[in-house]
Amino acid sequence: MDIREAAVLIGVSVDTLRRWDKKGKLLAIRAGGKGTHRFYRKSDLELFLMDPFSLARSWALSPNPYTPENEFYCPDSSIFLGRLSKLETILQKTKDLETDFSLITSVVGEIGNNSFDHNLGNWLDINGIFFAYDINKRMVVLADRGLGILQTLKRVRAGLNDDKTALKVAFTEVITGRAPEDRGNGLKYVRKVIEKSSMSLFFGTGDAQLEQKSHSYELHIKKSGNNFHGCLALIRF
Amino acid sequence: MKIDIKKFGTTLTSRQLGKEAFAAFRPSLEGVGENEIVEVDFEGVNTFSPSWGAEFLTPLVNMFQGRVLLKNTENPSVKISLELLESIIGKKFSSAR
Repeated sequence: MDIREAAVLIGVSVDTLRRWDKKGKLLAIRAGGKGTHRFYRKSDLELFLMDPFSLARSWALSPNPYTPENEFYCPDSSIFLGRLSKLETILQKTKDLETDFSLITSVVGEIGNNSFDHNLGNWLDINGIFFAYDINKRMVVLADRGLGILQTLKRVRAGLNDDKTALKVAFTEVITGRAPEDRGNGLKYVRKVIEKSSMSLFFGTGDAQLEQKSHSYELHIKKSGNNFHGCLALIRF
Repeated sequence: MKIDIKKFGTTLTSRQLGKEAFAAFRPSLEGVGENEIVEVDFEGVNTFSPSWGAEFLTPLVNMFQGRVLLKNTENPSVKISLELLESIIGKKFSSAR
């Protein structure tokens, strides 16, 4: 739709939309890639109005399992990898992300692939993951309704009995929930990348949540006040 | 022998695909000579992750011990993945400068 229609839908002036486009807050598309007239995809505007994290959180925490909207739903890893590749291309073309795009893509890849690797054949209700991103808001969200970190790690650390400790182990110790395989390093990698980049992370599982700020190695782990059986991640960049 | 990692793809994040890549390439490694260097070139790789790397590089390093030489590892995701893999397997990769 054109800029006037978009302004009405969002509820701001045409000048504000032009300003947001220049700032990168809400990017317009140009006809043929080079035109002077700004156009907007309806789906981009809908996403701008919605908060992808709230959508993912509602889905992951819902007591009644339901399949997410197609555009956010990756029922298997091949669909996830296809969409991840598309995200990589978009990030690569985004201002200021020409270098960091690889780190963002790899972190998203590790978290998303972890969901599939650790839940294959064991999904509790809905197979697959919720995966959405908003480049204007500089966020990526991932969620699954799988076993969660505690149940996954219990396979190799029978003594683990709370979500907070399980989260800490997952982000700090080289251990795997896919015993007897001698590996498991995805979330340690995520931590290492965030320490060295401008990304920040929120990660929830069970009744615990973790936050890691950009350029910091410190993990803030606490009880979340919720309880759900999967994982929920928000990456800001 | 030279292995161009980009020939396996330029977005390499999945453990499963790393495993498949090594299995598919395994027969090509049979011809590597006793003292031959195995050069692994990351030129052209956009995104790399330790999960893919663990499935491909770890068995390669175990097969050829000190004869694996890594090249063009400047990509930030390649660099950090390799650092993590080194700390996990307890061995330093050799890099060509």
